[in-house]
Amino acid sequence: MSAPFAGSLLVGQTGDPLLFSVDAVAVGIVILKVLVIFALLLVATMFMVWFERKLISDMQNRIGPNLAGPFGILQTLADGIKFFFKEDVIPDKSQRKVFILAPYLAFVPAFLLFAVVPFGGDFNGGNDGMVTIFGRDTYLQLADPPIGVLFILAMSSLAVYGAMLAGWSSGSKYPLLGSVRASAQMVSYEAALGLSAAAVVLVTGTLSTHSMVTSQAGDGPWGVLPNWGILLTLGVPFVIFVIAGTAELNRPPFDLVEAEQELVGGFHTEYSSIRFALFFLAEFMNTITMSAIFVTLFLGGPSGPAFFGPGWMWGVIWFLAKVFIFLFMFVWFRATLPRMRYDQLMDLGWKVLIPLALGWFLVLASLEVADARQWNRWVVGAIAAVVLVGGAALLRKSVRSGAALRAEEVLD
Amino acid sequence: METTAVEYVVFALCAVIVLAGAFGVIWFRNPVQAALSLVATLFGVAVLFLNMNAQFLAAVQVIVYTGAIVVLILFVIMLLGVDVEEDLEEEPLVGQRVIALVIAAGVAGLVVAGVTLGGADLVSGARSVTGSIVDDVSNIEQIGRLLFTEYVFALEITAVLLTIAVIAAVVMSRRPSEVEPLPAENASMEPPEPMEPEAEEVFD
Amino acid sequence: MGQYLPIFVLLVLAVLFGAGSFVASKLLAPRLPTSAKLGPYECGIEPSREPPRRFSVRFYLVAMIFIVFDVEVMFLFPFSTVVDEVGLFGLVAVLIFSVALFESFLYLLGNGALEWGPVVRKVIPGAVAPSRTAATTVRRVGTEGRGRVPAMARAADDGGAAA
Repeated sequence: MSAPFAGSLLVGQTGDPLLFSVDAVAVGIVILKVLVIFALLLVATMFMVWFERKLISDMQNRIGPNLAGPFGILQTLADGIKFFFKEDVIPDKSQRKVFILAPYLAFVPAFLLFAVVPFGGDFNGGNDGMVTIFGRDTYLQLADPPIGVLFILAMSSLAVYGAMLAGWSSGSKYPLLGSVRASAQMVSYEAALGLSAAAVVLVTGTLSTHSMVTSQAGDGPWGVLPNWGILLTLGVPFVIFVIAGTAELNRPPFDLVEAEQELVGGFHTEYSSIRFALFFLAEFMNTITMSAIFVTLFLGGPSGPAFFGPGWMWGVIWFLAKVFIFLFMFVWFRATLPRMRYDQLMDLGWKVLIPLALGWFLVLASLEVADARQWNRWVVGAIAAVVLVGGAALLRKSVRSGAALRAEEVLD
Repeated sequence: METTAVEYVVFALCAVIVLAGAFGVIWFRNPVQAALSLVATLFGVAVLFLNMNAQFLAAVQVIVYTGAIVVLILFVIMLLGVDVEEDLEEEPLVGQRVIALVIAAGVAGLVVAGVTLGGADLVSGARSVTGSIVDDVSNIEQIGRLLFTEYVFALEITAVLLTIAVIAAVVMSRRPSEVEPLPAENASMEPPEPMEPEAEEVFD
Repeated sequence: MGQYLPIFVLLVLAVLFGAGSFVASKLLAPRLPTSAKLGPYECGIEPSREPPRRFSVRFYLVAMIFIVFDVEVMFLFPFSTVVDEVGLFGLVAVLIFSVALFESFLYLLGNGALEWGPVVRKVIPGAVAPSRTAATTVRRVGTEGRGRVPAMARAADDGGAAA
């Protein structure tokens, strides 16, 4: 190889040490971990459904579910069991094969997404969150591929298929309209999602989610603030990522997909029984996973101070606390914000978020290079800001001339 | 690094998926099902990339090909309303079947010739160039180093290609007149005539 | 490759879970299909129109430009991981790349390819069309499936008489 960096090729191997050489014990531990995570995810999803209903009812001065179990906490379980006893209707006009396949395409990526999220471990004082299970060192996360962030993007890009095919195969007009909206919306916000994730990769210098958390656990700006992605990227990519993530999830205020006043239930209108339950499960599981991804990329994942007892446990506690903030935020969005109009949604995604995310990425890259070359950070930042404003002005002009094409003069 | 038993098994499984998907693309008459078979093929290829330790390519394969290009294909199928089964009797492009047959035979001949005549250099069982050169370094960093030093010209040419694609898409999809006036406006400009056709019909 | 083992196990488990749910639902759920149940959902009314078969070309443009940005994002990730090594040279390369894309994006927006809103109608101040009558300016909706409403018929006749 003739690259000028051949000398620097050997750096440390990344990934879960458990899986460097796989033997029977390692496979056993993997299966155990997967089973535990799977069960916890299902329970967490159940909790999330209950939490959303309960919190919304509190915000709307209602009682909400209160009969099944203490505070109605078992309501979701009861609903879930009921789905099994409901008739499974496959409409006559549906494309049968695709109709059956679509729920799988929605919920399998939802499950897989959680595999790369680190959810515990002690990251204090240079620890890298290692725990020992049955004498083997491993991370508290299912898998740590070197392309963790890309894996997240890949899975969220596969999620489009569930919505798209469900609506198309139903052979009914509301699901079709819902799925066309859903797929265009998810596709539009995915670019913004990727661009803002790239900003975090830029400042942490790694694609592995575990290394990302390790790098964020170190000392941050001025030694007092945490070294979190939200601070290193100067905030903007975080806001973009949260907005784009909400839109990816089709959650309010971006829930045009299932705008019930116009589209009944959106792409899953024709689904019933367990097939509907799987869409529902995928939706709420994605909500939890997306919150976990926010935490991993921008809020330092499970890193945080440990006080007493085992350090890894504090990692789990910090992780859950941080995820909970976003779960609350999602419910709060739903209770507060009115749904956007479709053209507003598209305008926000294409004309604001994507250009801003791209511009911000380039600014951050310039600052990185400036630091490496020991140029004055502020001068480079000022130049970058001027260029950014110039780009925004061009964009505005372009948007205006595009809008003018749609306008026409009429007599009153 | 030796090819392990696991890698052989993964290869065999993926090969089956890839071939079955490719076969499905041709076999299914419904275009959406054909597109889904294409997804299976692309996914299998992505796992094959992983098998060769080309992690970045695997991710790109899924994100760009399955996540964007097949979505575009599905959009076209669904939005243009061509999602009905094709009539195979009709030949839209005259002579295309003969040409396809000739090309297929030529490609098959090339593959067979390559495998039989190329010798050990071609089919050595070694990792392809897509894999990482040193096993411990992530493949994405190697690609990054090469892309932004030696192959930077290729990168910029890609940008030009993408620009051409966008502009072509806009030009091709634009209507001759920018905004087609709505029928309702026409009615208000011209001398009034009975409202809408529905109003004329009498329902019992 | 070993790093993907848990993902594979999770995949298998998720598929098994889905399949198990279907089997359970098959065993437990009743099966009483009727033609109304199997028809497209339309709030109990028989569908009067087929689902739309064609959509706005903008959806196609959205998918097209998404590919372009997706490819750009894919180039940014390798750049992000090696930004310290490729330095200013790499940054300039990325800037040129981005500017080229941004420029095509501006062309796209400038041509109104991503305009989704309703057509904006600018009223020419002071000008009133001679054809403004009750019959031409009131748009009646929801007449589908109804008989001829007397008031409506009268308005239509008036409109015809004015011409």
